[in-house]
Amino acid sequence: MKNIGLIAILRWLVLIVCIFFWHKAQAQIQPKPIINASIQGQIIDANTKVGIPGVTVRLEAVTHSVRTDDQGHFSFITGQTLPAILHISSLGYESLQTTFNQGDFEILLKPELSNLEEVVVVGYGSQRRADIIGAVASVPKLVLNQSLSSFDQALKGAVAGVQVTQTSGQPGGGVSIRVRGGASIQGGNEPLYVIDGFPLYSEAQGTGVNAGASINPLAAFDMGEVEQIEILKDAAATAIYGSRGANGVILVTTKKGRAGPTQINYSNRFGQQQIARKIPLLNASEFALLRNEALFDSNPALGPFQYLSQEAIGDLGEGTNWQNEAFRKAGIQQQQLSLGGSSERIQYYLSGNYFLQDGILRNTDFDRLGMRANISVQATERLKIETNLAIQRTKSTIAPGGIINALLLMPPTATIYEQDGSYTLRNPFENIFSNPIASLLETINKTASTNIFGTSYAQYRLLKGLHAKVLFGLDAKSQNDSYYTPSSIYEGASNNGNAALGSRSYYSWLNENTLTYDVNWRNHHVDVLLGFTQQEARNEYFNAGAQNFVTDELTVHSLQSGSTLIRPNSDAYDWVLHSYLSRINYNYDNRYYLSASVRRDGSSRFGPNNKFGIFPSIALSWRASNESFFQQYLPGINDLKFRTSYGRTGNLEIGQYQSLATLNTLNYLIGGNILTGFTPQRLGNPTLGWETTTQYDLGFDIAFAKNKVQFSFDTYYKRTTDLLLNVEIPWTSGFSSALQNFGTVSNRGYEFQLRINPLSGSLQWTSDLNFSVNRNRVLALGNESESYIIGNYIVQVGQPLGTFYGAKTDGVLQLGEEQSQGVFTGNAEPAAGDRRYVDSNNDGLFNVASDRTIIGNAQPDFTIGFSNSLRYRNFELSFLLYASVGNEVINENNQNLEMFSGQQNASAAALDRWTPQNPSNEIPRAKLDPAPVFSDRYVEDASFLRLRSVELQYRFPVSVNRLLHIKQLSVQLSAQNLWTWTNYSGFDPEVTSGSNVQPGRDAGIYPIAKSFHAGVAITF
Amino acid sequence: MVSLSPFNYLNMIYSRYLISFIISIGMLSCSKLTEQPDALLISEQFYRNGEEATAAVTANYSKLYESGQSLYNSLLQIGIEMATDDYEAGPRARNAHVRAISGLTHDASNDRMEELWRQSYDAIYAANNGVEKIEAIEATAISEELRQRLIAELKFLRALHYFNLVRFFGDVPLLLNTNSSLEAQALRVSKSPEAEVYTQIIADLTAAQSLPSQEAFGLANAGRATSGAARALLAKVYLTQRNYTAAAAKALEVINSREYRLFDHFSEVFEVAHKNTVEHIFSAQFQGNAGYQGNSLAGRSAPTDIPGINGDYADALHLEGGLYESFEAADTRRDVTFVSALVSPVNGQLYQLSRPQFHKYYDESVIGNPYQSSKNLPIIRYAEVLLIYAEALNEQLSGPSAAAYEALNQVRSRAGISSLNPGHNQLVFRELVLEERRKELVFEYQRWFDLVRQGPEYYMEKLHAAGKTLAAPRHIHFPTPQRELNINPNLQQHPDWINN
Repeated sequence: MKNIGLIAILRWLVLIVCIFFWHKAQAQIQPKPIINASIQGQIIDANTKVGIPGVTVRLEAVTHSVRTDDQGHFSFITGQTLPAILHISSLGYESLQTTFNQGDFEILLKPELSNLEEVVVVGYGSQRRADIIGAVASVPKLVLNQSLSSFDQALKGAVAGVQVTQTSGQPGGGVSIRVRGGASIQGGNEPLYVIDGFPLYSEAQGTGVNAGASINPLAAFDMGEVEQIEILKDAAATAIYGSRGANGVILVTTKKGRAGPTQINYSNRFGQQQIARKIPLLNASEFALLRNEALFDSNPALGPFQYLSQEAIGDLGEGTNWQNEAFRKAGIQQQQLSLGGSSERIQYYLSGNYFLQDGILRNTDFDRLGMRANISVQATERLKIETNLAIQRTKSTIAPGGIINALLLMPPTATIYEQDGSYTLRNPFENIFSNPIASLLETINKTASTNIFGTSYAQYRLLKGLHAKVLFGLDAKSQNDSYYTPSSIYEGASNNGNAALGSRSYYSWLNENTLTYDVNWRNHHVDVLLGFTQQEARNEYFNAGAQNFVTDELTVHSLQSGSTLIRPNSDAYDWVLHSYLSRINYNYDNRYYLSASVRRDGSSRFGPNNKFGIFPSIALSWRASNESFFQQYLPGINDLKFRTSYGRTGNLEIGQYQSLATLNTLNYLIGGNILTGFTPQRLGNPTLGWETTTQYDLGFDIAFAKNKVQFSFDTYYKRTTDLLLNVEIPWTSGFSSALQNFGTVSNRGYEFQLRINPLSGSLQWTSDLNFSVNRNRVLALGNESESYIIGNYIVQVGQPLGTFYGAKTDGVLQLGEEQSQGVFTGNAEPAAGDRRYVDSNNDGLFNVASDRTIIGNAQPDFTIGFSNSLRYRNFELSFLLYASVGNEVINENNQNLEMFSGQQNASAAALDRWTPQNPSNEIPRAKLDPAPVFSDRYVEDASFLRLRSVELQYRFPVSVNRLLHIKQLSVQLSAQNLWTWTNYSGFDPEVTSGSNVQPGRDAGIYPIAKSFHAGVAITF
Repeated sequence: MVSLSPFNYLNMIYSRYLISFIISIGMLSCSKLTEQPDALLISEQFYRNGEEATAAVTANYSKLYESGQSLYNSLLQIGIEMATDDYEAGPRARNAHVRAISGLTHDASNDRMEELWRQSYDAIYAANNGVEKIEAIEATAISEELRQRLIAELKFLRALHYFNLVRFFGDVPLLLNTNSSLEAQALRVSKSPEAEVYTQIIADLTAAQSLPSQEAFGLANAGRATSGAARALLAKVYLTQRNYTAAAAKALEVINSREYRLFDHFSEVFEVAHKNTVEHIFSAQFQGNAGYQGNSLAGRSAPTDIPGINGDYADALHLEGGLYESFEAADTRRDVTFVSALVSPVNGQLYQLSRPQFHKYYDESVIGNPYQSSKNLPIIRYAEVLLIYAEALNEQLSGPSAAAYEALNQVRSRAGISSLNPGHNQLVFRELVLEERRKELVFEYQRWFDLVRQGPEYYMEKLHAAGKTLAAPRHIHFPTPQRELNINPNLQQHPDWINN
């Protein structure tokens, strides 16, 4: 009933729209014959009222066609009789057919609502969106318009089924991406990135020198260079990447020159970032009271004022606010100059970019200088040559590890400097950590890298429809790391300055040889792909260091000046991947689609008995809307397609040499000399093989209301078997674990993507909503074991990955309960005010080891991304809302802050702590020596709804542009993370350690900033 | 149709060849799938000759303290000595597991128990692997003498680790071969009775008696196990087994060999210059500030509050035990063992400590950097052999003989205290020897072993007297790590620790 009503409404809407256009069309026809006329005009975007360059304008009946210039103007002289019929078409716009009579005229072209005609990049090729069978999501353009250090950060909330979490707020820091849930426990879970055809796994690699968060390798690429991003999710799309497809594939295409004459673009954005929130802590006097209480509790004989007298406390005031001292408002700027265009044979895009981001922690930053040349030459009619080459230099000052922890825990009664102006070295009390401000300001902790990244190919048309393509790619990186702690700070005080230098060189080369054949015969459309590819990588690093410097002046630059040399270290590895691939896409009459692919991968990383793996896929689709009967019955539906796919993909991210029985170096002193020895490092496993993911996908795409509503639905089931698992083995074997193919994890879920265009008049509104649900579950583990515990996590059959394992709290022990209930505190000598825990195994007492239980999970129930773009005249407002619901986080920062030991600062919750006068049943007492127990107290709901980005752009009208002799000018104001709704008490709910088994762990992570930007973009 | 210039046309022909050429090149793979690590050795590339066999044995010594909190570099202190009347977790020992041992609230999930078990079996695997690989080296590549010597060294080390294990945990799995299979059945080993483990320890040490003597080895080999070390350790094994006749005989063998004697002064025992000489029979070797490892007990026991000392004060004296007070005024050992005031290297002021702190391994040459102490950690030294002899004789003969007094008095007089006069009965003498061991061997990982081999009553009596009232009979063993029980159904918890 409901459906019929809806269809009726849709029909009615369609009718109204048809009438409207028919009217318009009628009004234009006024025939008046003229011969040898000159036709000229301008093609203008109906919304922005800006001329559209590169539009094809074709006269009907003759093949004569021209393209508009960069202002949208065109003209041609024709011998045709007027009125002539013009066909006007441009990618991304609705095609138009109009009749030309006379004079100079303007044609308004409407942006196309349907994206079915757009070209989507897929593995080893591209397809029309309408022809795609697999689950391939295109990232909305507006999210690529943010000012971020790397494009992967922009994927937050952008498409369904892709969960993106930042692992650090360090400028240039990394993100962790899970496409349809994490499948691997100990292998890599990050997707494969394919940038201009070059596959790379984004994994930060160091030289063993730096401390703190690592820099994201993808931060080498400027966001402004990225033209489009596609995310391949199901096996139909990813199986062509075989052993690297199991975690999804992210295809990145950089910008190419647009049709038409040279365009020069310059854009500049600058902004300011600040911390979104600080953690409420005790001030100096509050802390002093806490410490007095803890000391008194420990040794009552010495009285209640063992730390400071009441009077001295009165004089303390606020003390040092270490968060205020460490965080700052930090600048960010992004500049890009590009030049692009195309002539008949050559398409070119050249750009230079500069990005500088200061961190919200003092003395942290990231900057990048990059340039790119993307050139494509149609050398002959048959031969096309293309090169996409980028060179980048990135530099970063990294926040030393442990800084966040230290600046939260440093007592407010401590000062940054001593009386004599030197740094206070460390926490004056029993828990040793260094003065965070001294560490931040004085530590040298830098990494710099120079990258060359590019692909080149030649494609040759052997026969009609038959193309051979040979591609070579190179990813070369040279990295220099440095680290110095001067003798003036705690870290360097005991060794009189500690310097270390590290150097790394990495390269990976790629060769792909593919043959493609396209043929159309009647209603049969076939394209076939065959190929052989090989990729190889080599990494080498070394580091060296010295200590005991006479002066701190030379820092890292003169290791020989240190009197103690640190044993240097070096390592090297390579890996090789050989692949054979094939794919066939077939469609009959654009109604019935079939796609099948097989890839055979051989990887050096696996055991001699298991080098090769075969990864097939098959997909079927029915485009019902192209059936002749369809329009008869459901005329309101513009497009309807059903899809299903099955396939197998693999994961090989286990590092190198894991199948071999390798030895490691161990030294010992014999006769006073250091002798080198070797000892077995692990048990070899010659059968070590692939982790295999079998994925089923079922979905449909529908568009109706003249393509104003487009909806996609996918449901999937992914089962990953033969997990590469460091299976725990008895220590009696001499080893702790052995990497084996064991265990099974499943991910099942569904995804919606809704794109609507509610308004398309002078106020235009497009809106993208995505919704995804994923359920992860461990189905089996190695060696018949049911579970294993890693820190505060448990990996257990039947539970999802990221399950928290700890004690359950049960209030606070009250006076008089010591005898009867004291056994539930876990303390040998329980006292009122101690936290009580639940005796989960009912053995009559609480014991951490045996009473732990499952107390939460880091996996979200669902995530939502909602992006919107509103246009009115020259204004465009866009914003992206992003929500994750049901995910929990272990707030380890808070666990440290709730020790109430008086040895380190405490959270403001300490103000409500248990005292005989304040018998709190929630917050325990001050205690000098509390046992740290991980409990549900530190598990928090980290659901959030966040205004990820908002941008207001104003395009100056053509009149202004003419006045300034430029083609286009726009200004914009934007903000990121402007507003976040969450109950999470830490810095930011969007936090993860990036680890597979320990996601959702907030332990001293550099917080994410909120930021405001202003920018200008000019086209000459 | 785009028209082609002649140049373009030529180009087209060329490029056709070019492309086919490139494709054919491309199809040839220029790389191999076989892994051959450049920076790592694999097992098959090693253990081929005498030199490599020697390097393999070197790595086995390294297993005495591989890295971090390792067996003979603080783990025995943290893991076992905290559970005695003389030691406690100092203010800087924040770790709950460590404090649990100190307070005797530790359980089977205590991570230091896990480490004791893990590191010992890791070392045993390395020794077994070494024996197998060295036995397999072709006769042309290694001299038989070197082969036998290296195997004997490995057997000494294996015996030492099993001796520790059997004392920590009671019955333990006894593994003498490596297993390279990942099959569950091969991995799930069962415990062997204590007696069987001791039989193996004695067999290994007996074999190790064939090693060269310290003198024959020479200083260039200082640090290796010697025949003397094997005999001395064997004496200690017999003593622990209460086979007093054998213990006395073995101790006497060491004494009569005249390879070792006491230093004249107790302070010399811990002087860097005297490492591996005179009294030292077998020690864990340390060398600070050489890109190598220092004795971390020095840093762990050094004070925190004195500017420029940079100690950690994690290993503290348990005052209630009365150890410090038990030293006679004339006893020179007290001030070598403890410190009660230190001069700050920064400001020159003398700081009085609120309680005595351990000082045996504090290395004056690396002030401000106590973790770089180059002082060795004695595993067995001649003074202990004398005390073993005294104790064994007293038990063997149901009372102290003259020789027993003589052995004990050698240790006492070296310490600067009066000799004992005869006339004590067996019980009193036993206690006197144990007290002497306690004072002589402070901070040398001996106290827990000495207490528990006297049985649960003795252990509890001493600990209760020192205010550690939670001490119970089960504490003369440590629980088998829960992790091992979880993944190996063939293992059972120590009976005393079931339901605890």
